[in-house]
Amino acid sequence: MNLTTLHAKVLPSLLGGTSRHPMPGEMIHPSSPSSDGTLEMLSLMGQALRFERPLTPESFIVEPEIRDERKIIADRLRRPLIRLLTSKNATEHPARALARAFDRLRLRPHPFDLPLIDAFVRSNAEKLGPTAQHWADRQKPEAETQSYFDPELLDESNWMQATLSRRLAYLEERRRDDANAARALVESTWAQEEADARFRLLQVFQTGLSMSDQSFLSTLEKDRAPRVRALAARFLARLGASSENLALAACLERIKQSQSGLLRKRTTLQIELPANVKDQTASRWILQTFADVSLGELTGALKVTEKELIDAAAKDDPLLLALALIATNEHRLDLLELVVAKLPNAWERMFEGGLDTLGTMTESVRQRWEEIVVHPYRKDVPTNYSLWDWLHRITDTEASSSVMLIVLHAKLLTKVPEHERGSAPWVEMMAAICPASQRQELREQLIQFDQSQSVTPLALLDILDGMENERTHV
Amino acid sequence: MSLTFERIEALAPDQASLAAARKLLKPAMWPALAEGEGLVWGECQGSGATPYRVVVSEADAGYKCTCPSRKFPCKHALALMWMRADRSTSFAAATVPDWVKDWLSRRRGTSSSASKAEEEAKPKTKPSIRLTEIPEAEADADPKAEQRATAARERSRLEREAAVMAGLEDLDTWLSDQVQHGMANFVAQMAQACRTIAQRLVDAKAPGLAGRLDALPTRLFTLPGPVRPSAAIRELGQLHLISQAYRRTSELPELLAADARQAVGWSITREALLNDSEAIRVDAQWRVFTVLSEAQPDRLRRVETWLWRQSRADGTPQCAVLIDFVPISTGAAVGGYLVGDQIEAELCFYRSTIPLRAQINTLKRGAEQTSAPLTLPDEGLSTSYAKYEHALAQLPWLGTIPLSFRAASVRRNGEQLYLYDEESGLSLPMHTSQANHASPLATVDRIDGIGLWNGYEFTLAWAETRLGRWTRS
Repeated sequence: MNLTTLHAKVLPSLLGGTSRHPMPGEMIHPSSPSSDGTLEMLSLMGQALRFERPLTPESFIVEPEIRDERKIIADRLRRPLIRLLTSKNATEHPARALARAFDRLRLRPHPFDLPLIDAFVRSNAEKLGPTAQHWADRQKPEAETQSYFDPELLDESNWMQATLSRRLAYLEERRRDDANAARALVESTWAQEEADARFRLLQVFQTGLSMSDQSFLSTLEKDRAPRVRALAARFLARLGASSENLALAACLERIKQSQSGLLRKRTTLQIELPANVKDQTASRWILQTFADVSLGELTGALKVTEKELIDAAAKDDPLLLALALIATNEHRLDLLELVVAKLPNAWERMFEGGLDTLGTMTESVRQRWEEIVVHPYRKDVPTNYSLWDWLHRITDTEASSSVMLIVLHAKLLTKVPEHERGSAPWVEMMAAICPASQRQELREQLIQFDQSQSVTPLALLDILDGMENERTHV
Repeated sequence: MSLTFERIEALAPDQASLAAARKLLKPAMWPALAEGEGLVWGECQGSGATPYRVVVSEADAGYKCTCPSRKFPCKHALALMWMRADRSTSFAAATVPDWVKDWLSRRRGTSSSASKAEEEAKPKTKPSIRLTEIPEAEADADPKAEQRATAARERSRLEREAAVMAGLEDLDTWLSDQVQHGMANFVAQMAQACRTIAQRLVDAKAPGLAGRLDALPTRLFTLPGPVRPSAAIRELGQLHLISQAYRRTSELPELLAADARQAVGWSITREALLNDSEAIRVDAQWRVFTVLSEAQPDRLRRVETWLWRQSRADGTPQCAVLIDFVPISTGAAVGGYLVGDQIEAELCFYRSTIPLRAQINTLKRGAEQTSAPLTLPDEGLSTSYAKYEHALAQLPWLGTIPLSFRAASVRRNGEQLYLYDEESGLSLPMHTSQANHASPLATVDRIDGIGLWNGYEFTLAWAETRLGRWTRS
């Protein structure tokens, strides 16, 4: 009896049942007179199957080529990193700080760790390099995946292969140098972009927006994504290319212009809030109303210079807030600084308004923006966690040295309400925003807390230090 | 072994215990903290008037606490380990107090040679597990009582033999029924069918067979639907083989007979094993290459610590597995060892045709993490697989066995990963639970490593690659 015979004659009987498919009598050799031999055949067949080697598939999937030039994080940092990122009670601050560090230092997580920190990788794939992006995209259909290459230096030939955030930064720079060349780059790849990428790429047109962009923007009026259509229409309105600028009209309708002064008449501007807008919702209304208006449009319509506009709004906090928001949208930090000088609590007002993005500002610009809004507080820095959390979320960068100096000198961690003192959100956020040069000072403040409270932020500081000081080569 | 955060984290029964331990890190909560002879101990002020006494052995992360917690280790033991690992808290050097000595004397197997000598010198005033090995205790016993006890034990054994035989008859009848109705039909209703016969085998005092049957549905459900009927033939065929072998132990080689009895459920106590002069003993350096933990239907967690022999010892087993059972309710998911630990110990193997299961007889050096690679033989997956087939021929109901390999690769076909040996074309399907964790290995060209093969799926445990080491976690 050989394996073929067993498969042909015995297996069908065992699978279908001997009551329906009796075993061939000539094959059965009972081991004892009391046995009918079927169980012996069961064991024989079972053992024959155990000796069969597993089948090799006809083909295996060919893994995509990933050209990842980033260096892998040092081995000694891997376990603390995993522990920190998978800690059940950790806030989102450490993850945000680590993702930034990976991006800034051009490091990547160890490929073997990707399954262990899956949630972190999915949320921050863009900042972690091509290998991590491939991991995050692995469930996507092949058509939606991209090439996994993240070159160190971008130019016109390879910019498409980089991560979206790096492409945006590159385009922004190109828009400043040569807006037409940057537009040509976007036009060449527009058809292949996803809706979110199209929207973010279009946002970059804010920099160096000119009439030469009009023809491209006009083609976007029929874009499939509503928010892309809306943004293109807004830009066209700014260029005066659309019939009427509804957003500007809505703003002007609410701005009351008057003259004041006895010896020298000065223009004063004031926003008249609609009757149904209460104090607590005023900031939000201002953000919504002024979001689509540019400074140029406003100064043009009111026939004042930018400086005069700010001076005219000096006694009207709502209008100052509107100007702060517009200056932020347009990355005009010089004007923002002038506005904040007259509206020292701009930070709190913008938070109330629900500002949720700083657009395409570069890291250094975001840091400068933060300095401008925080500096007026000096020693009276707010102890409201929501404000700081919002600031960290919106800037998504570590604090500048001067901001951190304010935080450390004010001993913010010891001033927060007693029930929040040393709580994970506070201490972890402070560690996440602290620049390298001030980590030691922060450590000294953290160790005054109970070890149970300081263990996570100290671990984060150690990992960030380690990432900066030590890189491994593959 | 030095206590590390990784080890503490691995020992912790759950995240809540770690969080609770973290709150006990304040030195003010520890009126006493001391160290000596490889131990650290302290008193932790709990909610009661009397502080809890906690002791931890640094050699093997053994611990004891007087608190009533049902979690093991409790938050006090974890906190003590944490403070020790952190090194920011000072421990006063002191002589070991009596309550710590008492705990040491009750521990099994893992005590260091120094404490062992001390223990042997000490008069045996308190009952302990070690007393079972001391002949003088027997000398004091009443000979008649001893005779009565021996007779009772023999009577009990005979009764159990009879019960097992009756159980095997039931099993044969049940197997015949399944064969009559067919495996396709069996697979459709195996959960209930296996449960019923497993209960009858428990009654028949054949817990080994009962356990196999209890676990069978779960095992088959992890396989793809189309292969389940043929897998059922394999599994039920093995049951019949064990049943037949048990009936004919007198005709079988001694080791195979021992295998048959163990498979049916005759257990051997640790003490009996260590007293067995013919049991294989291997004194070597061992490396933990994986730790498996599985919850059983009997509310026990089976923790398997798989060891690879690092130092040379020709003709002796290359691998060993230490098996511990802990109540699921304690939350403990691992033994005292972590993957990568190296120990120096004499292992005593249970008698078997393919000796794998062992107990630590003497621990000469506690676990230490090392980055050294495993001393894998220079052979590919096909050679290892051939050895498995040879072992299967010797022990037909062979279960999980380690396979080492060199120059293999992980390949993907759909969601299924395979360990592939290009030279021979052999590919072993990897355990479905590893589809996610092991998938980064598919981007690496060549791996050397070791894993566990259960006849259906390969669980990769350890791999050395150009990107560094990968371990199953």
